[in-house]
Amino acid sequence: MSGPSREKHAPPSLGARGQAHPVGSPLTGESLLGASRPLRRRQPQYTYRGDRRLALVIPAAALILALSIFPIIQLANMSLHDVTLATLTHDWDFVGLRKYQELFAHPDFWKILGNTLAFVVVVTALGLVGGFAAAVAVSPQKRGASFLLGLMVFLWAMPPVVVASIWKFLLSGDGLVNTILLNIGFSERVGFLFDKDLALWSVALVNAWAVIPFNALIFRAAILGIDPNLIEAAEMDGAGAWQRIRYVFIASVRPSTMVLTVLTVVYAFRSFDYIYIMTAGGPGTASTTLPYFAYVEALVNRDIAGGAATAILALLIVVIFAYVYVRDLRRGEPED
Amino acid sequence: MYPRKRREPVAFAIRVVLYALYGVPLLWIVLTSLKSSRDIFTSQATVFFTPTLEAYSTALADPALASSMRQSAIIAVGTTSLVLFCAVPAAYALARAKTRLVVGGLAVLVLLQMIPQTASLIPLYWLLNSTRLLDTNVGLILADSTLFLPWAILLMRPFFARIPISIEEASLLDGARTLRAFFAVALPLARNGVLVVTSVILLVSWGEFLYGVTFMLSPRNYPMSALIAQQSGLYGINWPGMMAFGVIAVIPVFILYIASYRLLRNGLTLGAVK
Repeated sequence: MSGPSREKHAPPSLGARGQAHPVGSPLTGESLLGASRPLRRRQPQYTYRGDRRLALVIPAAALILALSIFPIIQLANMSLHDVTLATLTHDWDFVGLRKYQELFAHPDFWKILGNTLAFVVVVTALGLVGGFAAAVAVSPQKRGASFLLGLMVFLWAMPPVVVASIWKFLLSGDGLVNTILLNIGFSERVGFLFDKDLALWSVALVNAWAVIPFNALIFRAAILGIDPNLIEAAEMDGAGAWQRIRYVFIASVRPSTMVLTVLTVVYAFRSFDYIYIMTAGGPGTASTTLPYFAYVEALVNRDIAGGAATAILALLIVVIFAYVYVRDLRRGEPED
Repeated sequence: MYPRKRREPVAFAIRVVLYALYGVPLLWIVLTSLKSSRDIFTSQATVFFTPTLEAYSTALADPALASSMRQSAIIAVGTTSLVLFCAVPAAYALARAKTRLVVGGLAVLVLLQMIPQTASLIPLYWLLNSTRLLDTNVGLILADSTLFLPWAILLMRPFFARIPISIEEASLLDGARTLRAFFAVALPLARNGVLVVTSVILLVSWGEFLYGVTFMLSPRNYPMSALIAQQSGLYGINWPGMMAFGVIAVIPVFILYIASYRLLRNGLTLGAVK
């Protein structure tokens, strides 16, 4: 391996990265590399080497094309036909946009859309504010703080079915929360999961609780990146605790916030596990969101096409989020 | 990072609240699993009771537990293997290749990662049904892998992207072909990324239940999470039994988590937000 030839072939962008030559690195000095053969053969291929590397995408691309892209096309196709669970393997009758008309005419459609919006707003607002507060609380290099972070992330890593079952138990009619409420003077038990005015909020609160650990982890990384001198300087300038949080902490997490907001919105929008376990979308459709409704239509009511139309609508909403996210990521990645 | 001596009343207060919010549910599952059904009947919220392993012995005697644990293990390991096989080379290519296709590819991955699972569930049910893969482990592993693959690639890519490109350039010029540059140079340097993706995918595929409960038609093929989901939907839930089930299901998660916590803590941050 020879230094000069390496420099000659290096693309312009490489110089800008200013990397030291890894001479003598055990990772590069492979003894199996021939001494003279490579340079001659390598040269013409060098310019389109980028394309050759794309070959490594083939296994992933194959799986995604066959089991993600193709099914989505099929989902759109199903939404234009009359398909039920019973006629799934038969020929389907083309019905045009009728399934969409039925969806919009469904008596609970607007209520479900409203549920979805309320759910997403609550989970996102609490998830971000709570995540930030938790990040401030777990960032100090103290044992109590590190252990708390470990505990919170562990709950994030636990199977959602288990965590949702715990909350179903805690919020049940004679569960812990109701017992505490009765002891502090409530006159009757609260039907957190059975009351049609409360069920949606209960599930949304638990979902916010579930997303806070992950958001705290992301915010924490931003907070740990703050120059300690900045905090000290703010203090010397007479900034109180709240002012430090406002002008130092919040200012420094702002770059992560946009992307994290989109991620949390999407998390809330996609939420399924907690709704399924805690309320099953009920009572009635009181805690049903749009993606959950797609499931109910297709697999509970056995109307595959109706579920497909609902899912396509949910998918269109997701496309908007994805657009915002990608636009924002690209802005933060000037090198591409 | 932080000056050590400062007292922070706000942060301290938040920590107390968070310990209660996140500690109590965890404590409660363990406490409940140690109660007898009679304790639950009188009051679910009692703290003082005689602990018993009744719920555990019942759970362990249930043949469904062992079989669902085995199913979960097979599905989690199968899914993780397939995801790694696809995601690691793809992440490398997307971190290194210099074409416009990369941006498009990343955008597609972001979109796929955001699609509600119920939207993929419906056509996958049809697809697995027509390929006779419903109610088989292969079918569920394929579905789970597709579900987690976009995330795995996006999580993995930064680990390759931050390897100084000059290291690879050197080996390429020395005659290493693309595959060798990947296996001999980039992969060892991105080892932590592979470990993060491995443990994340093991964790999430162990916990996945919607595909499990939908694509497995016979309950004896259910993975653990699907079994719990199904039981928690029943009326008159036997809570101590359910919680004992939950604790047993979480033990593998706990072991994996303890082993990979540091990697996860740093690695998840790297992949989610640049």
